[in-house]
Amino acid sequence: MASPISIRGVSRRFGETWALQQVDLEIAAGEFIALVGPSGCGKTTLLRIVADLVEPSTGEVRIGDDTAAQARRKRLLGLVSQRPAVLPWKRAIDDVRFTQKIAGKVGFDPATVLREFGLEGHENKRARQLSGGMLQRVNIASAMAHDPSVLLMDEPFAALDEMKREEIGEWFDRELALRPKTVLFVTHHIDEAVMLADRLLVFSPAPGRVLEVVSVPVPRPREPSFRQDPRFVAIAGHVRGLLMQRTPQAA
Amino acid sequence: MSTGMSWIVRLATPILSVLLLWYLAIWFSGLPAFVIPRPERVLEVLWVDRAFIFEHLLATLQVAAIGFLWANVAGIGMAVLFDLLPPTRHMLMPAAITLRNVPYIALISVLMLAFGDSLLSKTTIVALAGFFPVLVNTMQGLRAADEVQLDRMRILNASWWQTFSQVRLPYAIPAIVSAQEITGSGSIIVAIAAEWMISSTGLGYVINNAMQNYRGDKVYAVALLATALSFLIYSFVHWLGRRLDWRAGDPRR
Repeated sequence: MASPISIRGVSRRFGETWALQQVDLEIAAGEFIALVGPSGCGKTTLLRIVADLVEPSTGEVRIGDDTAAQARRKRLLGLVSQRPAVLPWKRAIDDVRFTQKIAGKVGFDPATVLREFGLEGHENKRARQLSGGMLQRVNIASAMAHDPSVLLMDEPFAALDEMKREEIGEWFDRELALRPKTVLFVTHHIDEAVMLADRLLVFSPAPGRVLEVVSVPVPRPREPSFRQDPRFVAIAGHVRGLLMQRTPQAA
Repeated sequence: MSTGMSWIVRLATPILSVLLLWYLAIWFSGLPAFVIPRPERVLEVLWVDRAFIFEHLLATLQVAAIGFLWANVAGIGMAVLFDLLPPTRHMLMPAAITLRNVPYIALISVLMLAFGDSLLSKTTIVALAGFFPVLVNTMQGLRAADEVQLDRMRILNASWWQTFSQVRLPYAIPAIVSAQEITGSGSIIVAIAAEWMISSTGLGYVINNAMQNYRGDKVYAVALLATALSFLIYSFVHWLGRRLDWRAGDPRR
């Protein structure tokens, strides 16, 4: 299940500073949107506004027919953070069940989904017994365990090394083909964004404003060879150019 | 076998070193035996007066246990209340800090005037002395949960109780346990002090009584017993804490 998201005139101010200015975006059900930009450009703020963890100063977010707050109360949202939110005293499978218990919704069988996530044989391990990549998979499994229609992901793979990051990205792409979700995905990593997303929201630094919405007109899931595709190279180059030009100090 | 041996060594080393210092003090200080009796004399008193001392030991344990319980009810209860209703923190925390800083002697005197030599006055003192570390540690522990865990609970629209019982309380356990190590063993010491001042029962009373009869050996006997007891409680709480602590066995710790 996936829901469309409508972001209308959303801004957010913290004290005197505008973290985010006037974002408008219509997201189709099942679409994968990557939010890219330098640190402090407001991409995490936008994600947290959709998550109903931060109030917008102006504008509104609609998820299907609901406001963000209604969607959260209906448990339509899933959140994946960079640091895993897996409870350290729970076994992997119990952590997945924990989400279902709190949400009051059983999205799917925990054992099945952990197997799908390549965690067969690790179901009874606790966080400290799992590698970083495996722990992040458990984290994603737990975030999806109640079958939310929207997945909000804040740099979920940033703590992983390059190899692991590409591997988990490919796996996640295939996973989404099985269980379609509307995804908002915050990342610093341009290649990762182009590899995974249908569209990229490229942000300028503070005050956070959308510079350009870049489409990746290639169906998902994508083969690893897409990285060598001229279209991939062109889009990634274009996005890199946009960010460099606006943030010379970060270059 | 090797762990058994190490346990004996760990137990014997402090005992032997204390005994050594004790004998050295007797030999070099030149103080009379009623001020500093020999260890074997102290053990003899403990054995000869065992029925009398045991009776008063039970009285002390009762005061310490009830006071300890109240310290926890008050300390943990207030921390939870502050968390549930933040304004109560501004109302009650200054009072808790003030109470903490009033000299216990003054508190004991007031309680003595109010309730006389009763279980209530003594347990109140023990509870007052013990609740503050519990309160402060529990408050700190309840803030120990990772922000990402709390976000996870918010996104799932969890109730206050679910977030509290499933995430924040487990994260607070290590801090609450370390408070018990202070309050648990402290309860015995404070109970004895209270009895020493106002009571006709308990180990504190035995010390007071022995002092008036120049029975230094008896004072030492009670002191030895109380120290052992306090140490035992500390060790027990520490052991219990290790079992409750979800971090136990974490090699990265």
